[in-house]
Amino acid sequence: MLIRLIEMIENNAESMAEDLKNKLLSDPATSSYQTLDDKTCYENILEVYSRLGHWLLRDPEKGEVRTHYSDIGAQRFEEGFPLHEIVQALVATKRHIWDTIVEKGIMQTAKELDSAVDFVTYLNRFFDMAIYYTTLGYYGALNFKSPS
Amino acid sequence: MLTKKIVDLIEANALRLSEEIQERLLSHPSTQSYRNIDEQMLHDWIYDVCSRFSYWLEEDKDEGEVAQHYQNLGKDRFEQNFQLPEVISALYLTKRRLWEFIAASREVDSALNLNQIVEASFLLVRFFDHAVMHVTEGFEAMLKNTHGYEATLSNPERLAEAIEAKKEREKLIYEEPKLPTLCFTKGMIRRE
Repeated sequence: MLIRLIEMIENNAESMAEDLKNKLLSDPATSSYQTLDDKTCYENILEVYSRLGHWLLRDPEKGEVRTHYSDIGAQRFEEGFPLHEIVQALVATKRHIWDTIVEKGIMQTAKELDSAVDFVTYLNRFFDMAIYYTTLGYYGALNFKSPS
Repeated sequence: MLTKKIVDLIEANALRLSEEIQERLLSHPSTQSYRNIDEQMLHDWIYDVCSRFSYWLEEDKDEGEVAQHYQNLGKDRFEQNFQLPEVISALYLTKRRLWEFIAASREVDSALNLNQIVEASFLLVRFFDHAVMHVTEGFEAMLKNTHGYEATLSNPERLAEAIEAKKEREKLIYEEPKLPTLCFTKGMIRRE
């Protein structure tokens, strides 16, 4: 059932990525994302949604999650993004997954709800680490450039 | 409110949970600076979250007290020479322990239904999302005040310039290619 929830997101990845891209590009809370090329923004989101199982079912405290999000943090620093907007965008990426699951109405039976509890655990573990490593990458680049 | 029972359980176990979270923060490699601050102060901060959990979860606190409280926390930790990733990690370790407690409570108390647990998880996640966001804002405010650092795109003029530059880039990408004009002259195609 957990796999079914993951597959549901992966199968809807393109439309979900398009929706979230439009939201990020129009939300004043993430205005710096308007400077990213639409295609880049879309592909970054699609990378998470289309391979959600890949991201969720591995240890997020090491390896690819660490490298990928530290690099994104450093890159966004170079591009001049405020850190709180990056955090906001990652939170919105996570929330869009949860909203989609709720909208699809697939949490009716006890078994489905039980899987949803597991799904929440994996989803938060991944996004907590993604935000943590993004911040680490951003601050690493900032400390290097800091005038103090 | 569906989750009242879960929130009450957390508040009733606030002291034990605070001690466990404090132990995690003091031993986890990602939160080493917490070993340098007064243990009582650390305990009081965690206990405040756990013992007044219902207060912090109230929906209308988004823009008000949660924002103010966690922006101030970010500023305080900056002045105490913490790194922002450490503060974020501390918030996530706190959330994780509370989530473990909520998820495990269904096995202890069969009267708790899964809907309550899912709803409680939503509120817990939303609260910590806001906390992390506002702590980050507090840190950024201090970076500006003390080091004069501000992200380039925080400046409205620079942001407008960057958006304009993006539009130019995309115009170049999406512009229709100019095809040569073709003229027909007695069966020949001549390029002009």
